[in-house]
Amino acid sequence: MRETLYYMERDFRRWSRGKINVISALILPAAWLIFVGLALPIRFTDNYLDFITPGILVLTMLGASLQGGALLMFDKILGFLQKFLAMPAPRESILFGKILFITLRGMIQTTIILVMAIILGAQFLDPLLLVQTYLVLFIFGLLLSSFMTTVALSLEDHDSYAAFNSMIAMPLFFTSSALMPYDQMPGWLATIAHLNPVSYAIDAIRALQEGIFPAFTIAGLLIGAAIVLSISVYVFRRATI
Amino acid sequence: MTAIEISGLTKQFGTLIAVSEMSLSIDREIFGLLGPNGSGKTTTVKMLTTLITPTAGDAWICGHSILSNPKQVREQISYVPQDMAVDPKLTGRENVIFYAKLYGIPRPHETADEALAMLELADRADDLTRTYSGGMRRRLELAQALVHDPEVLFLDEPTIGLDVGGRRRIWDHIISLKNKGMTVFVTTHYMDEADHACDRVGIIDRGTVVASDRPAQLKADVCRDIVAIRADGAFTGTFPDDITYLGQSGDELRFEAVNGEEAGIALSRLMAEYGMQVRSVSIRQPTLDDVFLALVGEQDESTAFDFQRFRTMLRRRI
Repeated sequence: MRETLYYMERDFRRWSRGKINVISALILPAAWLIFVGLALPIRFTDNYLDFITPGILVLTMLGASLQGGALLMFDKILGFLQKFLAMPAPRESILFGKILFITLRGMIQTTIILVMAIILGAQFLDPLLLVQTYLVLFIFGLLLSSFMTTVALSLEDHDSYAAFNSMIAMPLFFTSSALMPYDQMPGWLATIAHLNPVSYAIDAIRALQEGIFPAFTIAGLLIGAAIVLSISVYVFRRATI
Repeated sequence: MTAIEISGLTKQFGTLIAVSEMSLSIDREIFGLLGPNGSGKTTTVKMLTTLITPTAGDAWICGHSILSNPKQVREQISYVPQDMAVDPKLTGRENVIFYAKLYGIPRPHETADEALAMLELADRADDLTRTYSGGMRRRLELAQALVHDPEVLFLDEPTIGLDVGGRRRIWDHIISLKNKGMTVFVTTHYMDEADHACDRVGIIDRGTVVASDRPAQLKADVCRDIVAIRADGAFTGTFPDDITYLGQSGDELRFEAVNGEEAGIALSRLMAEYGMQVRSVSIRQPTLDDVFLALVGEQDESTAFDFQRFRTMLRRRI
């Protein structure tokens, strides 16, 4: 466990020194929040900002995870992984450190978006709601960052990873319940949205907004995260031993 | 207990035999593994550092098998790969402390400072490593590797891409580590460096160690003195039996003999007798380059490059 934290600390130090990295990941969700959340003429709700904020929080986490998957690939390409693997520290701690870093970095970014949303008028100040929202985002972050790290381990180069990344990023977001409720979607989109893991996270936060604890949805996300993490460990072991 | 004991170590990637039946015993010395590109040097190091598993055979590092006790092996070793990998956004000190923590050193900050001082990096320890020169980065990698005081140090091409001063400094450090009792296993392309610094060298060609001994012994065993004579005119006679004619480039004729000085005098007399105008005679002691070329030969890269096989090998090699 200690080693996992050391690997994570290394990534945080590196991230904190690349100023453009810190800002760039926030631009897209902030733009969504302001330009779509405030400007879109929506009829199905009086407070679209409250409706779209969970979607934007999850989008921020999604972006952070998609961006983060390549980190392990770069460690491999640049020769760091070889050095780490020749050390006595448990090899899986390299993977866990990376997944934890990507997830926690995503949580820092979502915090900034959350503060912006609250300033713009979203109702998110209830402490219990905040804690539970973070829990959902954390589990979703684990799921997505494990998935993207596995993808990065399976692909050969960064170009392939970037292609995969851009292929899934927008479809995952648009086929989720981020922008509109299921009853406003065409039937085919609603079917896809019900299967999309991004919707699970968004729906869970929306339920929390309404004061309901979505035990089944959170359990579903947890099981999903556990399965993908196990696959990730399996692929990591295969790729390195 | 021998630091490195290798027995029948073999690695096969598909149909390609990268390392074949290697057996060596290395202890408290600098051992250089020399060989052309693709001869199996890096694959050997990767097996010994537990990064890849051998197809057959085994090796023991300080008595621990790389197959059955890889974790114990990793506790005894440090590995500095060929590609320099230091975090450019971290300072030199942070780079070393990170390794000290990962190795579970009780006082990581103090130990990192000691390693940095030993590698003469103390005054630049708080600068980001992106401002370091190639030589400094390599020394920083050595500091990272030495932070847990390993018994065996594996270095893959430690001086590649460095200037003359940088190379000399790296070797000075490596020699001082050996003098403190460390076993150093190094691969290199630079024969002169291996000749100067290694206690023993092994020459590997197509996965097989074709010779292994002290550099001086190899030179004495494999090569004789080289005699080069510059002369005008054509030689029409026959050379003495104990002198081997190697070839001619321009007006320089090259020979090989057990005693270069005696052969030089004999040859110049003989050439004069045949009416040739001898202008200069030079005797050269053999170098490790000569040994290498005699054992491995010039590497022709005429075989077609098999990209699929190369990719398979890379993927499996990490």
